[in-house]
Amino acid sequence: MFLRFYLSFFIFIFFIYKTWLTSMADIAVSTRGLVKIYSNTVKALDGVSINVNRGEIFAVLGPNGAGKTTLMRILTTQLRPTSGEAYVLGYNVVSDGDKVRRFIGYVPQEFSVWTDLSGYENLLIYAKIYGVPRHEINERINEVLRFMDLSDASKRLVRTYSGGMIRRLEIATALLIEPEILFLDEPTIGLDPAARKMVWDKLTALNKELGLTIFFNSHYMDEVEMYADRLVILNKGKVVVEGAADELKRSVGGEVVELTVDDVSKTVHRVNEMNSLGIRDVNIDNDRGIVRVIVDNAEEALPVIITTLRDAGVRIIKASISRPTLDDVFLKYVGGKISEEGRLQEVRTLRSVIKKG
Amino acid sequence: MSFINAVVAFVELEARRIRYNITEVITRVVQPILWLVVFGPIMASVRALPTDGIPYIAFITPGVILQSVTFVSIFYGLTIVWERESGILKKLLTTPVPRIAIVLGRSSASVIRAFMQFMIITPIALLIGVRIVPNPLDIMFVIIIITITSVGFSTFSIWIATFMKTRERFMGIGQAITMPLFFASNSIYPINIMPPIFKAISLGNPLTYSIDALRKTLIIGTLDGLITDIVALIIFTTIFTLLASIQFRRLIE
Repeated sequence: MFLRFYLSFFIFIFFIYKTWLTSMADIAVSTRGLVKIYSNTVKALDGVSINVNRGEIFAVLGPNGAGKTTLMRILTTQLRPTSGEAYVLGYNVVSDGDKVRRFIGYVPQEFSVWTDLSGYENLLIYAKIYGVPRHEINERINEVLRFMDLSDASKRLVRTYSGGMIRRLEIATALLIEPEILFLDEPTIGLDPAARKMVWDKLTALNKELGLTIFFNSHYMDEVEMYADRLVILNKGKVVVEGAADELKRSVGGEVVELTVDDVSKTVHRVNEMNSLGIRDVNIDNDRGIVRVIVDNAEEALPVIITTLRDAGVRIIKASISRPTLDDVFLKYVGGKISEEGRLQEVRTLRSVIKKG
Repeated sequence: MSFINAVVAFVELEARRIRYNITEVITRVVQPILWLVVFGPIMASVRALPTDGIPYIAFITPGVILQSVTFVSIFYGLTIVWERESGILKKLLTTPVPRIAIVLGRSSASVIRAFMQFMIITPIALLIGVRIVPNPLDIMFVIIIITITSVGFSTFSIWIATFMKTRERFMGIGQAITMPLFFASNSIYPINIMPPIFKAISLGNPLTYSIDALRKTLIIGTLDGLITDIVALIIFTTIFTLLASIQFRRLIE
């Protein structure tokens, strides 16, 4: 009698646990109100809540200093949040950090291989650090080398690799433990377009063929637009907006007439007076003299706008029409351009210095 | 188990890197060789220092070996600073390896470099007439002493690295530490001829205990009083391994 009660109690608990597990199973990453304050002054994250589904490619987009890297370093258990909670595959990144580390692959923005060793040796050392069983090591290394198209170069010193090859090798090291989620911090920063494409071909293949969840940071709009299933825009430590790229672009609405003019304020003034055109919004970029008019039909609006402005004495240097892009989404929600040329140069220099050893 | 595997992997990493950088190993033994081949014989010819009947070159051999060992180990912190600037340290923190294994692993990797120094300097000392004790027990102690010294000074340097987060600053500190450590020890002269204040400093210098232990086992062939030296070295190494592991957080943030 007592034993039966005891047993049914356990079965009950087991079912609750199982339901809980399956409900967690679809969520790869979730955070609630994450805050990170560095040395009691710099607020890098200010209440970030996001959800990433399993099997999707998720992007965190934002300018320099938005908190992208901090968020990723918390999720990969390198840093502890000041407050708030973060779960990866259902495990708390603070209290269950050791479990999280068993299922994640991570590629930092800077550089994570030893350039004075060969590609194969880098993989060998990482496999041993990760604790890949000895009899599987060789097979696993050859597999990731083949997948990343590095088999032919595996015996060469990494110092002789191109930037794209190094990135692929770094992704290969992250794949050694057959992770469930791959975290990539600016995966293609400083790479030329061909190398960028190759890296992304490999990443999308991983996502499609193995169902690997990919979580990446980027400030390249086009890259996010092309490859991410869903994204979040981060600015000054806060989530600006979250959703699928198409959804976000639709939320900006309409089509865009972009004008480069000599007098931004006069243009805005005149455009705002044109009620009949179905103008939804006007964004400006003062530094470059750009005015973006968001309308229902750009082709019809353009001639009217040009005529009106010319009559008002505004000189139009350039005019173009476009459908909304993530740039427009960013402009609408943040009110600026993601411009990181300086930062990019810095990272490029760092990478080339590191490569020389 | 994963702990030991990781530490062994870090040692292997270092061994493989050395294979590609033999010139670095060779340039590092130039200075110790100068001490043995130039400074040693000249000082020996003066016969100014009381060395308890030990030939002067033999007297300074343990000091020269260990100076080289500590130099290599102290500059190991530089590797950690470097790996912090690159992304390697970040990546290591996301692997299932415990943090203390990273600290110990990176520092025990310096043991390999320390032994490289030992293996090159010792034959040269033999060539110029230093006689060492060919007793297996003594040799075993020699290996233990060099290992503890090397781990101790490299965890010490990792600890320093947690404060000096840039390479330039670390270089400066490294230079400022190594030579004084060498001179404020019993490496090239016996402690008891020193002025009292330097004598006190030398007694607080872990290198003094290493040298004393190595002199006993490698040159004299006695185990008398060796226990004091080894206990002092173990205390030193434990303290800095713990400090380095605790302070490691500073290095990441």
